[in-house]
Amino acid sequence: MNTSDSEEDSYNERSALVQCESPTIPSYNQDHDVSLPQQTDTKRRRPVSSGLDEPGPVERERASTPDGEEEELTLKYGAKHVIMLFIPVTLCMVVVVATIKSVSFYTEKSSQRLIYTPFEEDPNSVGQRLLNSFLNTIVMISVIVFMTIILVVLYKYRCYKVIHGWLILSSLMLLFWFSFMYLGEVFKTYNVAMDYPTLVMIIWNFGVVGMICIHWKGPLRLQQAYLIVISALMALIFIKYLPEWSAWVILGAISIYDLIAVLCPKGPLRMLVETAQERNEPIFPALIYSSAMVWMVGMADSSNPGSADGRLRNEGGARAQEEEESEDDVAHGGRRRYSAEEDLEEDRGVKLGLGDFIFYSVLVGKAAATGGDWNTTLACFVAILIGLCLTLLLLAIFKKALPALPISITFGLVFYFSTDNLVRPFMDSLASHQYYI
Amino acid sequence: MNLERMPNEEKLSLCRRYYLGGFAFLPFLWLVNVLWFFKEAFLKPAYTEQQQIKSYIKKSAMGLIVWVAVLTTWITIFQHFRARWGEVGDYLSFTIPLGTS
Repeated sequence: MNTSDSEEDSYNERSALVQCESPTIPSYNQDHDVSLPQQTDTKRRRPVSSGLDEPGPVERERASTPDGEEEELTLKYGAKHVIMLFIPVTLCMVVVVATIKSVSFYTEKSSQRLIYTPFEEDPNSVGQRLLNSFLNTIVMISVIVFMTIILVVLYKYRCYKVIHGWLILSSLMLLFWFSFMYLGEVFKTYNVAMDYPTLVMIIWNFGVVGMICIHWKGPLRLQQAYLIVISALMALIFIKYLPEWSAWVILGAISIYDLIAVLCPKGPLRMLVETAQERNEPIFPALIYSSAMVWMVGMADSSNPGSADGRLRNEGGARAQEEEESEDDVAHGGRRRYSAEEDLEEDRGVKLGLGDFIFYSVLVGKAAATGGDWNTTLACFVAILIGLCLTLLLLAIFKKALPALPISITFGLVFYFSTDNLVRPFMDSLASHQYYI
Repeated sequence: MNLERMPNEEKLSLCRRYYLGGFAFLPFLWLVNVLWFFKEAFLKPAYTEQQQIKSYIKKSAMGLIVWVAVLTTWITIFQHFRARWGEVGDYLSFTIPLGTS
């Protein structure tokens, strides 16, 4: 199987945790929270799919309110948005782990490799294996860097058509080809007979509605569900086609790259986010998962209190509660306007790049595939969530785009290796000696 | 996409597009249409476009029911008679279960 480059790229864009910046003037642009579907690596170089490479910056809505209120808003955002991100990340990991544990296809070692990891890992010699995994990592990271730079250049020079075409092609591949493979394997595992007409109907419906939801307009929940599904599909492909040790080294290297790309002034991801903010445009749909509703242009001009209140009442329960709370804090005079603005700002929520989803799931999936033990899997899962919490906390403090991969992946790797090598033998020998603690 | 925030004409146009799109062998699109616009059409106070949205929802629901009936019938027939059809059955099959006659 050849791998596609485009996936690499999308990976790059995807792994960013982005906070939506709200301009101080009440003319908001519509934010797209579309995320890119992960591209499959089979056909071409990966199209931009889940932003694996780039741990996206964590962006948060910045309230244009006085400092005191801003801090309160920050804290309120923190808890709620953490939960809003926990759920999709957990779902993605659950899907990946469930598939790994039940469908054996994704854990079978195949002789095919991605062209991104050309060096074969020889199980006999440790030194050679280590060297080859580092070489594989170098190849992969350079491909990712290259793709990201091309993407940023395209974006800077406003070649939007090229980028959109690329994204659409990669979503197509993900939604149709990879899900076709996935369904085939699931049916084989459960020994179910499936006929071509029904299968064609299923894949056709799934794919077309997915394309509509991700790239055009669709219900928010459905769009989020599709993004989770394609992240999971992409993660499964990675788990299958990356060699053992290379996968771990690549995870580590990607975190470091993420850190550099997002925080350094000349980092490609940072330039991407800044350019998007300068132009007041949403970052590509299909690259980012957004946890909140998209705010539509046209609400900013309704400044009369009546409609603002009406809008507030129409909001979802959680948001309305928050607004009620915030109304208690705000002075009478600016209350309605503040609530309306908060309303709009809250809509953008926190955005997490798809690449982050993918890499988190790859880590947990690999732990489930190779560790073989639920302790290890759960430990990695908890580690990633803790890392995500900390990243969101940092986002609350720094209020600019932050990489979402480094902290979580570091914790995940540390927990994986320590659980595998320390906790597991300990629990095993406790169990074998029938000694309960 | 937040339906709350869209003007009524846009809602109508979106509903209509979803309805028309469903004719391309996309009952899932009709299902999404029905579920998404159900509250708009039936549980909200009346507004001008609501009548048309209601009619689109009803037509989508009918189309959906027809498709579900057709697919259920076909799947039942296939699963029941697949083994007996011999070569044709195998030709139509994507996956063939192991260990059955």
